[in-house]
Formats: sequence, C-alpha cells, structure tokens
Amino acid sequence: MRRLWLGIRPLAESLLAGVIGLGGGALIMWAWGYNPWPAYRVLFQESFGNAYGLASALANATPLILTALAFAIGARAGLFIIGAEGMMYMGAMAAVATSLLRLPSGLHPLLSLVLAALAGILWGLVPALLRALRGVHEVISTIMFNWLSHFLAFYLVANVLVDPVRAEKTVSVARTARLPLLVRGTDLSLGIVVAAGCALLAYLWLWHTVSGYEVRAAGANPEAARYAGVSPRTTVLLVFALAGAFGGLAGAVETMGRPPTYAVYSGLTNIAGFGFDGIGVAMIGRNHPLGIIPAAVFYGGLQAGARLMQMWAKVPFEMVRAVQGVIVLALALPELLRIFRRLRRARRTS
Amino acid sequence: MALRRIGVAVLAMVLVALPVWAGRVALILDVGGRGDLSFNDMAFKGTEEACADFGWEMVEIQSATSADYLPNIRNAARSRQFDLIICVGFLLADALNVVAPEFPNQKFAIIDAVVPHPNVLSIVFEEQEGSALVGALAGMLAAHYGYPYVGVVLGIEIPVLYHFEGGYRFGIDWGLRKYAEVTGKTADVGLLWVYTGTFSDIAKGKAAAEAQLEQGAVAVYNVAGPLGIGILEAVTAKLAREGREAGPPFMIGVDANQDWMGDGNKVVASMMKRVDVGCYTAIKMVHEGTFQGGLLSLGLKNKGVGISRYDDLLDFIEFGIKAGAITEADRARIIENWKAMRAAIPAWIWQAVDELEAKILSGEIAVPKPKTREEMLAVRALYPLTR
Repeated sequence: MRRLWLGIRPLAESLLAGVIGLGGGALIMWAWGYNPWPAYRVLFQESFGNAYGLASALANATPLILTALAFAIGARAGLFIIGAEGMMYMGAMAAVATSLLRLPSGLHPLLSLVLAALAGILWGLVPALLRALRGVHEVISTIMFNWLSHFLAFYLVANVLVDPVRAEKTVSVARTARLPLLVRGTDLSLGIVVAAGCALLAYLWLWHTVSGYEVRAAGANPEAARYAGVSPRTTVLLVFALAGAFGGLAGAVETMGRPPTYAVYSGLTNIAGFGFDGIGVAMIGRNHPLGIIPAAVFYGGLQAGARLMQMWAKVPFEMVRAVQGVIVLALALPELLRIFRRLRRARRTS
Repeated sequence: MALRRIGVAVLAMVLVALPVWAGRVALILDVGGRGDLSFNDMAFKGTEEACADFGWEMVEIQSATSADYLPNIRNAARSRQFDLIICVGFLLADALNVVAPEFPNQKFAIIDAVVPHPNVLSIVFEEQEGSALVGALAGMLAAHYGYPYVGVVLGIEIPVLYHFEGGYRFGIDWGLRKYAEVTGKTADVGLLWVYTGTFSDIAKGKAAAEAQLEQGAVAVYNVAGPLGIGILEAVTAKLAREGREAGPPFMIGVDANQDWMGDGNKVVASMMKRVDVGCYTAIKMVHEGTFQGGLLSLGLKNKGVGISRYDDLLDFIEFGIKAGAITEADRARIIENWKAMRAAIPAWIWQAVDELEAKILSGEIAVPKPKTREEMLAVRALYPLTR
C-alpha cells in the first residue's frame, strides 16, 4: 500500500498543482475582467483538441525535452546545472556551421547532431572542471557561461555565420541537413523522435546501468556514495557531458527542424529561452526523463494554445503570458518544495 | 459585458459566424509588438481607423518568439475567419512565403517586404527619401551648433534599414554642403552609427545613444522602433546634466511622429513612415473590392514618408494620449515647447530641408536606396562621414 502511494504520490501532487495553477490563472483573468471559461476552452481545444494543435504542441516540446533533460540529469546527481541555455546556443551555432559543408542527405543531419552535441559538451567543460577540481559552484559558473555563450552567439550570428544577402539571420541550414517534417503543413519535424529517444536513453542509463545508479546515489547522498567508492569527480564530469550533449542537441533540433527559415535570427529571438523553459519543464516532470516528455508536451501545448487565446478569446497577449506563468509555477512547485526540503535536511545533517 | 465576450468567442469558433461585422482583419505583429510608439503602434493605428470607418473587426496577434510567426499566420488563415491578414514587418516574410500558397483564396498584406504571391499585397516604403531629409537637418544642426557628430541607432541589420542608413548618409552630406554654401564655412562633422541587433531591448538603445551623445552627437536618429524610448531617456539625461530642458542634443523620431515625446522639445523632427496609411489602404482595398496582389510603394510622393510638421504634431498628440503616454493636460505645453524648439533653429535650415524635399519630389535629386549589403558598403564608401 505504502509502495503504491509512493508511486502515485508525485502524480497526484502534480495533478493537484495543475488544478491550482489553472484556478489561479482563471482568477487572474477574472480579476482583470476577462472570462476564463472561453479562454481555457480555446487554449485546450487549439493545443490538444485538433491535429494541427497537437502537432504544434509536439513541435514546441521538441527542444524543451532536451533542455529539461540537461537540467534533470544534473538534478539527479545533486547538481544545479543552469547552463542548458548557453549549451543550446552553441549547439545551434554548430548545427548552422556544419550545414555549410556539402554532404549527402543521410549523413549530413547525423553529423550536424553529433557536432552540436560536442559543442554543448565543450561548452560545459570549463564549469565541469571548475566544479570537479576547484569546487566552484555550478550555479554561478553556468549562469556566467550562459552570458558568454549569449554574446559569443550574437557575434557569430552577426559576423561569421551571417547570411550575406540577409543580415538579420545566419545562413539557413542546408536542405540536405534539415530534419524532415513529419506532417506537411505543420512545424513538427523528426526532431521530436530525436528528443524522445534521448529521454528514453537517459531513463535507461539512470535506472538500468551501474554508472547511472552511482550518479543517482551521489545525488541522494554524496557522502555515502563517496564512502561506497563512487568518484565525485567522475560523476560531475559525466553528468556535465550528458547535460552538454542534450543542451547542444536542443539548439540543433530547433534550427534544423523548425520551418520556415531554418536559421538563427539576429538577437537569437527564435531560440532564446528554451534553456530556462527547460528548467520549468524538468520541474513539472519531476526531474524524471519519462516524466519530462508529457511535461514538455503540456508546456508546448500551452504555448501553442496561447497563440490562439489572444486571437479568439480576446485575452491580451500579456495576460496570456501571466496565466501561463501561474500554471507553470504551480506545476513546478511540488518539485521545488522537495528540493528545498532536501537542501534543508542536508544543511541540518552537516 | 462578460456575456458579450462569451458570445464573441463562441461566434468566432463556430465556422458559420453571423456577419455582425462588415469584415474582419487579423493584425499579426513580430516580437517587437505593441507599445513601441512607432512601427507596430502605427500599424495598429491605421488598422483601427480603417475598422472604425468601414465597420470591420480587428483581431490583434502578437508573437512571443520568432518561431511563432509561421503558426500565427497559419492559424489565422486556417480559421478562414479573416477577410484580410496583415503581417506587420519584414521578419514575417519567410513565414508568409510558406503560408500564402497554402491558402490561395486568403488575402494577405505585408509591410516592409515583397512576398511575390498573387494573394499578397506587399507594402513597401521609400525610407531613404525621408531619411535624407532628417539627415540634412541633422548635418546642418551639427554644423550650426558646432557639434562634431551626428548619430544614428539602428535595430537589426535587415535590408529595410539600409534604406534608412543610405538616405541618412546622403542627407547629412547634402546638409553639410548646403551649410558651406549658405555660411561660406566648412564644418567637420562625422557620423556615429551602430546596429544594436534588436528591435525590443530598450536598454540597448539607451546605452548606444549615451555613447554617441558623450562623443558629441547633436542628434541621434532612432531607426529601431521601441529603442527610441531608450534613446530619448539618454537625451533627456544628457540635457539634465547640462541643466537644460530643450535640445540640442536631440533625438530624431521614426515611423510615427515622435515629436511630442519628451515634452515636445527634445525630438527635433521625425521621419514619418506611414505604416498606418499602408494598413488603412490595404483594408480599404479589400472593403471596396479592389484588392489585388502586388506591390504598393509609398514615398514622399504619396505621403507614405515625410518629415514631421505642425499638423502631424497635433494628430500624434492624440496618438500619445490614446497610448496613455501623455494626458490631455500636457497638450498645450507640448505644442508651446515644440514651437519654441523649432523657432530656435535658424529659418534657413528649415528652408533648406524644404528645398531638398522639393528636389527629391521633382526628381532632380535621386537618393541612393541600398538594397543589399554590397550596395550598402558602396554607399558607405561614397559618404564615409568620418572625422
């Protein structure tokens, strides 16, 4: 019975949080004089109620699954890796750069994905080494590296990878390197398969391999894990490498799979934010690779439906975003509370 | 009130909506969005006026990221609820290029880009003509007041902005030569210019303008929509440090008439690009059944661009009041300040601006219109404006 409850409890908490979030959002809309009922109806009808909406939800979920994995893997190991944003920029840059090569269409996207993952890993290397060798806290270093990546990407977009005839964007990813659309007339590309595959692999690694077990052990109780012979350094480097690979891939699937432009815009306006949204998605998915998939689809659906909310329910855009924020915050709350509880316990024992 | 809202939503979702409106238009905005007091707000203004005149309903759609452009246009077209879908801005062109052939019976209009499909009206502007006028003004002001530089803060480096930069450079050069002709003295005036890479980050506009003002720019031309709010803050702060209220240094406004901003005595003139006229015209064409895909070019000739004058000030003070940026009580003071600001500048400068306008209109002077990076580099080489 207790076992069953332990299994169901996270789900029940998330559902309750979802209800609270929707209620909070409704309250906000009502307080400002908008009717929440038609607004929510449009929101869910246009995200999960028809094929185009569902395709949009899945397309939006694609990069979020990967950035959420980057955060969740770290969280499982007891690390707060906030760096998926910066890793994602580097992955996107690598994907655009690789597309300048001339390769056959089977090999080209594969190489782009591999190089994007490598770019993400490289970007995580310095914070990883700082943490493993000098004990520099990864929250500080990864946030700083996000900004370095932001400005480096700005520079690359404007000066190195710039489209010679259209300076507002990078060159577009070559046709041979694009991820094909799964459904014509939508945004949904093969990227969703890559992302979901990564989530599955992450799950198998964490729960069905020795090194995955060691990482989780290090996250649950670092002292005990060390006593049992798990090297904290190896754990940090391994986890950062995986987070970097997922972060880099997130940037790649978005630039290689999102029509119509298949490029990064000046100001990074089409990719900025996925890394941070991914943290929210990871929280909603309780930092579980398989929980992240539905969480990302829900989050992506919220974004897709929100576009229609302003169109048909006459709720202004800013209000839509506020409501979105309340729902996401409420959904992230159970996991946040769990993390804070654990931190407090850790402080008390040390 | 709430009942009506439900009613509207239900009507909209049911495909066979009763024709309560004469027509319905979707206004799709890029990530810059409303509240810029220039480009996007102008599109809103023109659309709103047309809707009032023709009994149409407007639905406004903002984009959260540039990945939203395609789904936003497609969702609007997919609903088959709109007689016209207006895409506001160059950045939406790629997405419209995909959607327009998918919905051949849907009428589209796009501002600032050419999308060659038979169901798309492409509305473009001769920004170089208006930019030449404010460039001439800025050049003459720098020479007259003894400032070493004129400035311009631009947004993302898109081809449309080359029209502004090219025209501005030409105008400054013309203005400096005019100054030499009138006064018999030559002035050594350079141009400070920067592409900030954003149409939304107001802080970047402020920082860029601060740098130019510190180096001695007499005026900073805003070619970045909402960044003008930051530029004006920089100008206001600079004036406050010098213990003055009215410029120089000035800002030069863009798209809308922004002369009323900053109490009427800090924006010396605006290069008006009448996006509102473009939107209004498109809706009018659909309403009257004369809509046809193709190119609609708006320039000095058909009042699509121009330098701000007194009548425009009155019109746009209303715009500012509506946007909530100023109130009724500010009106008289702004007008008074504006008149004093303009009167403090020698009459020959204003006459010279008029002269340039007449010569462009008559075709005697052709302002360069760079369309690509290469053409822009050529214009920069022709008018380097370095000190």
